[in-house]
Amino acid sequence: MVSVRLEKVTKKFGKVVAVNNVDLEIEEGEFMALLGPSGSGKSTLLYLIAGIYKPTSGKIFFDDRDVTNLPPRERNVGLVFQNYALYPHMKVFDNIAFPLKIKKVPKEEIRRKVFEVAKLLRIEHLLDRYPGQLSGGQQQRVAIARALVKEPQVLLLDEPLSNLDALLRVSVRSELKRLQKNLGITAIYVTHDQAEAMALADRIAIINEGVIQQVDLPEVVYNRPKNMFVGGFIGNPPMNFVEAGVEYNETVKLIVGEDSVWLPQEYIEILRKLKLQKVVLGFRPEDVLVLKDERQVEPGSSVIRGEIFTVEPMGREVLLTVMIGETMVKVYAPPTQYYSMGDKVFLQINPAKLRLFDPDTTIALEYLVKT
Amino acid sequence: MMQLWDVEVKSRKIEIVLILAVFLASLPLILNYGLLILSSFSTEMVTNLDPTSFRPTIDNWILLFEGRLSVTGGVREDVVRYTINTAIVALGVAGVVVLVSVMAGYAMSRMNFKGRSLIMQMILLLHAFPGVALIIAVYLIFRATLPSDIELARIYSFAYVIVARAALEIPMSIWLIKGFFDRVPWEVEWAAIIDGASRLRVWREVMLPMVKPGIAAIAIFAFLAGWEDLIYVRTFLFDRTLATYIESNINVEFAYMPLLAAAGTLYLLPTILFFILTQRLLLETSTGGIKG
Repeated sequence: MVSVRLEKVTKKFGKVVAVNNVDLEIEEGEFMALLGPSGSGKSTLLYLIAGIYKPTSGKIFFDDRDVTNLPPRERNVGLVFQNYALYPHMKVFDNIAFPLKIKKVPKEEIRRKVFEVAKLLRIEHLLDRYPGQLSGGQQQRVAIARALVKEPQVLLLDEPLSNLDALLRVSVRSELKRLQKNLGITAIYVTHDQAEAMALADRIAIINEGVIQQVDLPEVVYNRPKNMFVGGFIGNPPMNFVEAGVEYNETVKLIVGEDSVWLPQEYIEILRKLKLQKVVLGFRPEDVLVLKDERQVEPGSSVIRGEIFTVEPMGREVLLTVMIGETMVKVYAPPTQYYSMGDKVFLQINPAKLRLFDPDTTIALEYLVKT
Repeated sequence: MMQLWDVEVKSRKIEIVLILAVFLASLPLILNYGLLILSSFSTEMVTNLDPTSFRPTIDNWILLFEGRLSVTGGVREDVVRYTINTAIVALGVAGVVVLVSVMAGYAMSRMNFKGRSLIMQMILLLHAFPGVALIIAVYLIFRATLPSDIELARIYSFAYVIVARAALEIPMSIWLIKGFFDRVPWEVEWAAIIDGASRLRVWREVMLPMVKPGIAAIAIFAFLAGWEDLIYVRTFLFDRTLATYIESNINVEFAYMPLLAAAGTLYLLPTILFFILTQRLLLETSTGGIKG
């Protein structure tokens, strides 16, 4: 097991910059998710670590060893692809044995290791079949077995679950996490599915347009997104954004339409420092109390007025789309109330959970002050 | 995987009309080949669609393998030897074409080098050249390189005709097999490279088995091209093949036509066999194999 360190890594394909000046450190035994929309450069980053691509500039280290110019076979990494990339003309046994065969490992040892890893992934009864005869989930296990059998220093996974159906995905997901922790292997996991990244990873690196946006623990990424992109990418539905004016008096408050929103002390201090006239107010759908009647509003708390645009019952809760002026926001409400289109509602945002962003740089205000 | 069906709007009537049309269009072919095969088992040619002229016998086939040209004539021809010669040329062409195409096709599909698309276009242009147009130049090279020892020259003429005929087939075969390589996902190749295989090993152990249908297709096409060739074989080869044998006897005075019909049927056999056996494969090749 090794740690992986990227230093100012840039990869260009012709004029297109796929990965732009990335610094990233993955600790030994850590499960790191690279999360980003398609075309963000996350897979390119993975292939740079694997050695399939060479960086245009920058360096890659495994522990203190510079592997930037080493070919893949000298890096000893395992890679699992989205489409599994099994060798269709070989039986499962030979698929898993292939990396060992290339290394000229003795036959007996190959057998032993293949059976060992097959047992670990519970595919020992499939060794005699061809990949074409397996289900998606089984093929994926074979691909993981093939990546693990050579005891790699780093396990790289490129959207390994996205070809599985939704139910299977959730069960394989938890197995994968257990497996990684049991083996204590350093793993880098590329995905565009934020729920997957949240569920699996020790830390998440969010990438957009080749640039790392934030690297943090899942709960930090979720609760304290560094910028509007991260807030808008993580969560389903993602964070809501509403433009707001700022009023500086004896206290500092936000103005949304005709309503004012009180701020927690932390943000009051930050705003007094930054003296912004306009901010973007961000809040998550679940951090809102939806009130149908103005009389329910507790005195001293602040609400934003809105009108229900659509109602989507989800079972455990109801997802409401609410128009605040011209802006659409999504909020969760308990299913105990009856909502219909056109209803006036009052949204009371949990002050501890609201986030403020600078409309020019899209960066969250608390990070703006820190740097 | 889900089976894909045609849209279900076909009408039964139109289908019958279409089948009839296809049948009519292929009738001349079926008739011609049918009559040829029938004639080879008859004492008289049955080419006038006159059933009374069909008098069954297998003498033609016996005479053919005895190497006699006519019922009475004394000229002997070694037809078995010709068949073997034809097979040597055909297999040789197939071998050379497959060897060159699987390497060139892989490079064209998978390796990034300067002038790749230019080379691909030139190859297509080469394919458009008829072999006859080149034959004078090819013959000059043949004369210039021919060994003086007659036995050596005989062997050389085999090698030469094989390589020259293969050269005509290679451009199309490269395009064809490139299409097959293109369909192999990059990830499979990457996986093998990550697993530690060298590029050569990836090509041999992972890529080649995955394009097997393509290799079979170009091998069959090349074999048939070699089997059927007349002009190159006639120009360069010292020995005879079935094609040159039939060609040289078709208008001699003592030609006994039913015997030549038998020779013609023998000559057709591999073509017909291959097409029947590999119909599905060839269909797949012509519909999905070639991609730019």
